[in-house]
Amino acid sequence: MDDNYRKKLKEAVAEWEEKVLKPRVKRFNLPESPTRFYTPLDVKDDVFLSKVGFPGWYPFTAGNNPFDFWRAYAGDAARMGYRPDWGGAGKVGKYGGFGTPADYRDYLLRMQSMGRRGGPNIAFDLVTQCGYDSDSLHAEGEVGRVGVAVDSFRDFQIIYEAYTGDLDIDKVPSNYTINAPAAVVIAMYACLAKKRGIPLEKLEGTPQNDILKEFIARGTYIYPPGPSLRLFRDTCVFITKHMSALNINSIGGYHIREAGATRVQDLAFSLANGIAYLQAGIGGGLAVDEFAPKFTFNAFGGSMEIYHEIAFQRAARRMWARILKERFGAKDPRSMMIRQPITAHIGCSSTTLQRPLNNLARAVVGGIAAGMSGGIPGAFPPFDEPLGLGHSLEAVQLQLDATRIMIYEAKVTDVNDPWAGSYFMESLTDQTEEAALTEMEKIEKMGGAVVTIENGYMQRAVARSAFERQKLIESQKEFVVGVNSFTGPNEIEVSVNRVFEATYDPALMKTAEERQKAALAALRRERDGNAAASALKTLKEKAKDETANLMPPICDCVERDATLQEICDVMRDVFGEAEPMKL
Amino acid sequence: MAEAGKIRVLIAKPGLDGHERGARVVAYGLRDQGFEVVYTGLRQTPEQIVNAAIQEDVQVIGLSVLSGAHLTLTGKVIEKLKARHADDILVLVGGIVPEGDMTALRDMGVAGIFTAGTRISAIADFIRSRVSQDSRV
Repeated sequence: MDDNYRKKLKEAVAEWEEKVLKPRVKRFNLPESPTRFYTPLDVKDDVFLSKVGFPGWYPFTAGNNPFDFWRAYAGDAARMGYRPDWGGAGKVGKYGGFGTPADYRDYLLRMQSMGRRGGPNIAFDLVTQCGYDSDSLHAEGEVGRVGVAVDSFRDFQIIYEAYTGDLDIDKVPSNYTINAPAAVVIAMYACLAKKRGIPLEKLEGTPQNDILKEFIARGTYIYPPGPSLRLFRDTCVFITKHMSALNINSIGGYHIREAGATRVQDLAFSLANGIAYLQAGIGGGLAVDEFAPKFTFNAFGGSMEIYHEIAFQRAARRMWARILKERFGAKDPRSMMIRQPITAHIGCSSTTLQRPLNNLARAVVGGIAAGMSGGIPGAFPPFDEPLGLGHSLEAVQLQLDATRIMIYEAKVTDVNDPWAGSYFMESLTDQTEEAALTEMEKIEKMGGAVVTIENGYMQRAVARSAFERQKLIESQKEFVVGVNSFTGPNEIEVSVNRVFEATYDPALMKTAEERQKAALAALRRERDGNAAASALKTLKEKAKDETANLMPPICDCVERDATLQEICDVMRDVFGEAEPMKL
Repeated sequence: MAEAGKIRVLIAKPGLDGHERGARVVAYGLRDQGFEVVYTGLRQTPEQIVNAAIQEDVQVIGLSVLSGAHLTLTGKVIEKLKARHADDILVLVGGIVPEGDMTALRDMGVAGIFTAGTRISAIADFIRSRVSQDSRV
């Protein structure tokens, strides 16, 4: 922009403000305008090539690709009547898990007989996620709830009895929502391949393996942050060297936001965690381009503020790309991309228990934000999410149809990064990036992600933000429809039919704990106890040596039927346990 | 240790559930409202919660559960309170509680159930009404 034009523009803006904006604001007796209008003055000069670029080009602001893979098949998918909730052929299956391994295996076989494809995408119960066995004192009442119980390699193999032939582990990917004991589960996966004679490098899938965010949100940590990161390093190196098709982690901004973080905190903390993982890999002797392409992110996002969420996606992609290139010296563009299954979404905490059908409208807003920021416009979550009773068939149908309507009828995804070049969106993207960079510098000055988790800075910041948000809602500075506003006598509850898939059998759930404990007792009786004890002893020795990679000794423990808790306990002895944070 | 005149509340996370946004927000909020609040942190056994409640001499326990284990865990806390003759402590439950479970919780002796969308001032008012009422007996 030449100086003359800039001068003219400034004059025009001043004139418009004086003659049009101010009288309007005055007429309604407002202290300031409730809306904003952006002009070329809000964007710095000549930034298109360096800051936006093209989809698939550094710094990936406009997206990782000219179009996402699903877009190539969108027409065929519609003609075939493809249902993504059933899992795609040879691809990621539906997330789930309950009861004992046999209960879950039988359920999976039943679903497969009804046509479901896709690999295991396993939810583990909290007992497993926290590194306990089903007969532990901490397990009471929790075995087989919120996920399947896995105490041993034997249990793991029982689940995989549902994955043979066309669905064998060299043909479908495995996904594991597991963090603190991720090393043990990855070892089980490797040992299973060995037992089936499948080369490790054929194994695909994603372990969540994002332990740092467990301290900030979600809470399934075991060891203090330092040793936890060492275990991450060991998995990162082992996967890179032996399981090269497997993703290393799934870094979760989503959970941090759901725990109450602001958008800026979410972005800064997630990327700070990402940096810690990159440093761990490099500390393990890897070159950045060897392993960074196998990092993934788990659905960054989580608010109703559609413009901000689009800007957030654009800023996140640019920031990560620059961190990788400028700070870590990555050369491979795949190292620089934020790979995530979906982009923007509203997050479950944006849904309301009050008048729950409204959540469909909310999810569509998230879907539009996703579609406009390089993702599939998923109307997530189903409207009955906050009822806590599982998703009804109706809610899932409405969710899928809303997504289809956005793709096929509204054609939301026919333009890549439709906001590129918008004075407003570029300005908002810059602001988001700057604010997150400032927060990241603060974290860096304090010593990085591990230190700011150890001293509770990140946890407290998130909790304070959650409280601030609650205060804004209670004081009606922010509005949530049907919760703190529009709740008068003329509003009505809209009741909805809720029919369930015959999924997890309540009768099985009731007896799962008892049956799983019996199976565990049988394992302890039948295994070679000395072999297990000796493998655990070796693991303990290796754990004390910070330079040792623990994956090989953990694999030995797994193969000798040491239990998940026995393996975790050995490391608890050496690493200690993380203390829960007070206020 | 206890400040005179202030109602003392223990906010507790029983079981392995790690969702603590609600627990922390309620703890901050009640503190703002003039209560004396102790938060246990994650992963407390019913035994630990009852011990903390007795040690801290609280009048109210707020249990936060979002994992679906609310019936088992609440039942255990109340059972242990009774065994320690501390069942004069008001027990409240917050989190994700399906409507169908609310009667069962009330039958166990839960005084109030607060799910998503609750105003903290509503929880505070409820506690004030119940605790002053109880102490008059």
